[in-house]
Amino acid sequence: MTRPWLLLVISALACPAVAWSQNTPDVVKQGEQVFNRRCATGYCHGSRGTTGGAPRLAARGFEQEFIANTVSQGVVGTPMPAFEKTLSPQELAAVVAYVANLNGLASAEMTAGSAGDNPAAGKVAGPALSPEAVRGRDLFSDSVRGFGRCSTCHEVKGIGIAVATPMAKVPADVRALRALATPEVATAKIAGESMPALVVSKGSRSVMFYDLTIPPPVRRTAEPGTVAFAEGSAWKHSSVMGAYDDAELKSVLAYLRAVVKP
Amino acid sequence: MILRTMKVAVVVLFAVVSAQAQEGATRADWPSFGGTPLAWRYTALDQINTANVRNLAPAWIFQTGDYADNLQATPIVIDGVMYVITARDNVFALDAATGRLIWRYAYSMPPPVRPRGFATVVQNRGVAVGNGKVFFGTNDTYLVALDQKTGRELWKVSVDDPKQCGCTIFSAPLVVKDKVIVGGNGSDVAHRGYLTSFYAETGRLAWRWYVVPGPGEPGHETWKGDSWKFGGGSPWTTGSFDPQLNLLYWGTGNPSPDYYDADRIPASHGKDVNLYTDSLVALDPDTGKMRWHYQELHGDFMDFDSAYEVLLMDREIGGRRRKILVHVNKSGITFVLDRETGEYLGAFSLAEEQTWISGIDMNGEIVGPRHPDVGITSTLCPSAAGAKSWNQIAYSPRTGFIYAPVLEICAAVTPNNQGPEEGAFAMNSPVDLKLPPGRTTYSHLDAWDPVTGKRIWSFPYKYILMASVLATAGDLIFTGDPEGDFFALDARTGEKLWRYQTGAGHRGSAVSYAVNGRQYIATPTGWQASMVGAFMAGLFSDQSWRPGSTMVVFALPEGSR
Repeated sequence: MTRPWLLLVISALACPAVAWSQNTPDVVKQGEQVFNRRCATGYCHGSRGTTGGAPRLAARGFEQEFIANTVSQGVVGTPMPAFEKTLSPQELAAVVAYVANLNGLASAEMTAGSAGDNPAAGKVAGPALSPEAVRGRDLFSDSVRGFGRCSTCHEVKGIGIAVATPMAKVPADVRALRALATPEVATAKIAGESMPALVVSKGSRSVMFYDLTIPPPVRRTAEPGTVAFAEGSAWKHSSVMGAYDDAELKSVLAYLRAVVKP
Repeated sequence: MILRTMKVAVVVLFAVVSAQAQEGATRADWPSFGGTPLAWRYTALDQINTANVRNLAPAWIFQTGDYADNLQATPIVIDGVMYVITARDNVFALDAATGRLIWRYAYSMPPPVRPRGFATVVQNRGVAVGNGKVFFGTNDTYLVALDQKTGRELWKVSVDDPKQCGCTIFSAPLVVKDKVIVGGNGSDVAHRGYLTSFYAETGRLAWRWYVVPGPGEPGHETWKGDSWKFGGGSPWTTGSFDPQLNLLYWGTGNPSPDYYDADRIPASHGKDVNLYTDSLVALDPDTGKMRWHYQELHGDFMDFDSAYEVLLMDREIGGRRRKILVHVNKSGITFVLDRETGEYLGAFSLAEEQTWISGIDMNGEIVGPRHPDVGITSTLCPSAAGAKSWNQIAYSPRTGFIYAPVLEICAAVTPNNQGPEEGAFAMNSPVDLKLPPGRTTYSHLDAWDPVTGKRIWSFPYKYILMASVLATAGDLIFTGDPEGDFFALDARTGEKLWRYQTGAGHRGSAVSYAVNGRQYIATPTGWQASMVGAFMAGLFSDQSWRPGSTMVVFALPEGSR
């Protein structure tokens, strides 16, 4: 069976982004566990990299550097993800060792190295967060809160929907967060109805804005002349904060203070 | 063929197939995913029929130019215009008589930024049209509305954050009155599934119904600890609507994780477990409130979700006309329920290879389940790819039969007990597809009477039939195979009457419509090069089923009708 994206795997970039430890049996064993969980899933490579919908990985003659690059950076234009963003350096090294093992590479051929040298490690861990900030991070995008969560409108560290402009300043406390001034929210009038609106663009062919009437925000596109904007709005940031109590908001602020750079 | 591995218990219901109400049939238009919101995939048009189908010939073809994967969308046809969407969410409005392009819209799909769950798979199974708009879900979990006349974008709204949820939307939305309702994929990742309803005019949220109840809600007690938070159940195909009862019917997905249930089954429980996964639910379309539920599999451990299409029909049963629904579970066990109350009426297995259980009892409950254990490899049938995939069955009120493409494929699974990570795959097992021994054919297209639970005829096929079925008032059954043949069977006998080699495999959903009195049969083509299509193809290594993305439309040549 020809699989169109099989060929694309071959085109992965050549510069190594991850170093690896020795392919010791322990590491290979750990790699097998990671592989079974993240790569062998029915939709992907199957057990031992021999079955499943994605390309076969066993006995392909892959070299370890190629495997390391592909696993860490993914393959653009295919479903193969860049695992350096979601696996720890140790897990990355282990799964690379396991796939190398599937390709018959013995440990003698391996380049010694330390996972601690991995430049991707910083992306994984990020700055150390306090326990309260970690709690705040989880609350910020807590899926249990549905459309009431912060990440419905704010994107921070790659999580959330970027409706609001990126945060430049974090309110000093919960009271300030509730009272946050939002002068950028205007009032749009379209088809006889007024609504709080965040203007995205005003072009000659179309006007784009977010309708903030109820979360989640709806990005509307209208022809110029069919929508009018007035400065200011009755909309309040506090009206969309009902999913959190004060203690939770305090944690969210602790998180934002740790990660938002002015 | 004889049912070899399963003792099917069917409640025998004395039935008379009488003249059916025609509200489930389409005519000139194909207005909804399932034809009409009753989801029969049946047209009342009979210009093309058993007597003249041998003359059927291509009328026009349309190449979408989007070869990200195959064309699997059900085309919608209204007033002579066809609306079709490709894998990368290019939407086309075409003159349904000629294939001429009227407008085109290309969705700006961001590259996948987070390698989790479904975020990196590209598919789309159809648009919905209503309220002057064309609606579709996207790979990055937006719902978008276009102007039906011009293709201009009117609104888009984020249904979830794909970078976190690992979820996506492949399914066609369903328009019900002033709202548009959409489900999503995600029950094979650590994710809590839902249906979401938006106002068609403004895109504003109308309601969301979570498949897995939260704390304090009925059914929450059927989950162990915090497992409900990522409990799965995503309703990942398109539901049905009965306007007379004002009820929305939707099937729900499997509980998550798939093959490892110890962390989600509570210590004590009643019959229903992990509600409302693997269930048929009836919702109030105005509020999203659940009216009734019927759980087909309790605490499923086989990825046999219940998310497939729901066929609504009225049938005479025991001398009484009843409003029923027919629903194929992914296991191939097909349930017949009273759709007013959710009362169980009968069940039968489409699949011949049912080794994961020893049978089903008179109440539709499975008997003798073989539960795969952690760390142990078990080969069980059917596979997680299903005794049927998402491609849909059809119903003809003229014969009273449903027409189902059935797969006879097994899988070796080796469950693991790792905990969930939000948005990451949580199948908790490899799924190695296997051909069952002792067979020479691995799928069949069957006619079944859903009221008696009897198979009327079976059309065997060497490989795998994974395209939807179309039934017509010309007593024809249309579908396609992965080798590229699009073909017609006699609805009463299963005899093959016509075939045409379209040049690429079939994994889409054919429809029928009419323009200026001429009946057309339209089929999307292109074998699915990712996911289930690719896994299945891997079983037949001597085959090379071609992908593609082309709409092929047939009609009787002018003068031959």
